[in-house]
Amino acid sequence: MDVSELKKNSKLEIEGQPWVVTDFQFVKPGKGQGLYKCKIRNMITGAVIDRTWRSGERLETADVESRKFEYLFSTGDTFTFMDNETYEQIEVRTELVSDDSRFLMDNLGVDILFYNQRPVGISLPSHVTMEVSECEPGVKGDTATGATKGATLQTGYELQVPLFIKVGDKLKIDTRTGSYVERVNE
Amino acid sequence: MPPLDQGLDQGLSWPLRVEVWDAGLRAVRDQLRGFGLREVSTPIRTGEVALEPWIEPLRAGDLLLATSPELAMKRLLARGCGSIFQVAHVFRAAEIGARHSEEFHLIEWYREPGDLPAVIADVEAVVAAVFAAVTAVIDGHAGLAPRTWIRVELLDLMGETLGQQLAGNEDAQAIKPLLRRVRQDHGIGLLAGDEAPPDDPELARLLAWTELFSLWSDHHLDPWLARQPAGVGVHVVGFPASLAALSEAEPDGRKAARFESHVGGIELANGYRELRDAREQRRRFELVAAMRARYGQPRLAMPEAFLAELDRLPPCAGVALGLDRLLALACGCSRLDQVGLAGL
Repeated sequence: MDVSELKKNSKLEIEGQPWVVTDFQFVKPGKGQGLYKCKIRNMITGAVIDRTWRSGERLETADVESRKFEYLFSTGDTFTFMDNETYEQIEVRTELVSDDSRFLMDNLGVDILFYNQRPVGISLPSHVTMEVSECEPGVKGDTATGATKGATLQTGYELQVPLFIKVGDKLKIDTRTGSYVERVNE
Repeated sequence: MPPLDQGLDQGLSWPLRVEVWDAGLRAVRDQLRGFGLREVSTPIRTGEVALEPWIEPLRAGDLLLATSPELAMKRLLARGCGSIFQVAHVFRAAEIGARHSEEFHLIEWYREPGDLPAVIADVEAVVAAVFAAVTAVIDGHAGLAPRTWIRVELLDLMGETLGQQLAGNEDAQAIKPLLRRVRQDHGIGLLAGDEAPPDDPELARLLAWTELFSLWSDHHLDPWLARQPAGVGVHVVGFPASLAALSEAEPDGRKAARFESHVGGIELANGYRELRDAREQRRRFELVAAMRARYGQPRLAMPEAFLAELDRLPPCAGVALGLDRLLALACGCSRLDQVGLAGL
């Protein structure tokens, strides 16, 4: 596309990577060449960089789309997800999921990013609710000191939780930091 | 961009916009008529526009929408009409941003006889009159009117900020290292037309200076303007010869009799002592046409009707001043859509 068609959320292919325009400003000195000053985010790595294009440049649009899937199971080398609408199943290599695998529970809804029809990224909801499978016994009343203990959640993920948490509790976890947020009462 | 629009994000109310435009238009007309200029209104649909490297006309059937009233007004001057002004609707394709709109208003005027000092003084008077008129109707959040004006030589400022003295008439080869550096500073790639320089040294010079000026303006001039004290207007004078556009070259052949006026870091006006030599103007338009072809821009017809009358243009100076930007500044807004009557 011509650079003049650029807008926020335009998806571009640059050196074999998909980028999305997150911010964009048009400037033009008197009778000079217009400049499109953009912030762009790499849709795979999340890296954000500044990039300026000049009037007259042509850009490649990236074939990217995000679709909603549900997590089904792991084979060890791959994770299998199912498309919510078509019931189509896809396998995603473990490298792509990396640390996020610690939050993959049955039926968890995720967004999978496809670039040139191939899955290139997965994004989890910002918070998930997970059950404690193992931890030392709960200590009543100690909610103020901030002291913590280790706990293991249903997926095997180990983290620090407050002392009052006990096995079977449901915890709200921030998937961006991996940390405990609060106990969820049901 | 100065953060002048706090609390005004939605822009002025519609009744206030109408008051602002009414006050602003009246101030412009009173001021310029008071100087003895007569108001004209030239056609918006036109068969020819000035060939400029990076200004694209919009089409209207078989004709074009005027990108500026310059050619038509100069033809009136060539026919003996004397000093004139106009508040013109003009159109430039794909110029869309906080300070750009595909349709906007130029206040354009010509003093005959006239030279740059006279029209530079006019710019200061028109800006002051519009600020005063607008401030009177929009209590409370008006912009800061320029109290003083300074002049800066463009080539001196370029030389200072780039660390290399520039005379203004260097050929493409001489400014290539500078151009490479400012491209790097911007982290920009090359266009197809950038790879191999053209054989014609004049075309190469035009390409190089146009790009150098564009990138330098963004990277050095705008930050420099932003550092000037509040309330100081800036006239940037003495453009390099390759950026003369429709202005006369200075006798030294290095510079053009062209200036730009900036208020609050925003470019408001562009003025010339007008070129009156049709052969030279045709030569410049032909270079621009070659440059446009190189970048794959649409072909524009040579403005023959204008060129046929240009040799009869009397000595004069002219300015184009962006009214939408001036009103936005006077209202303390940084975006045209906060004060404009577009979007209806």
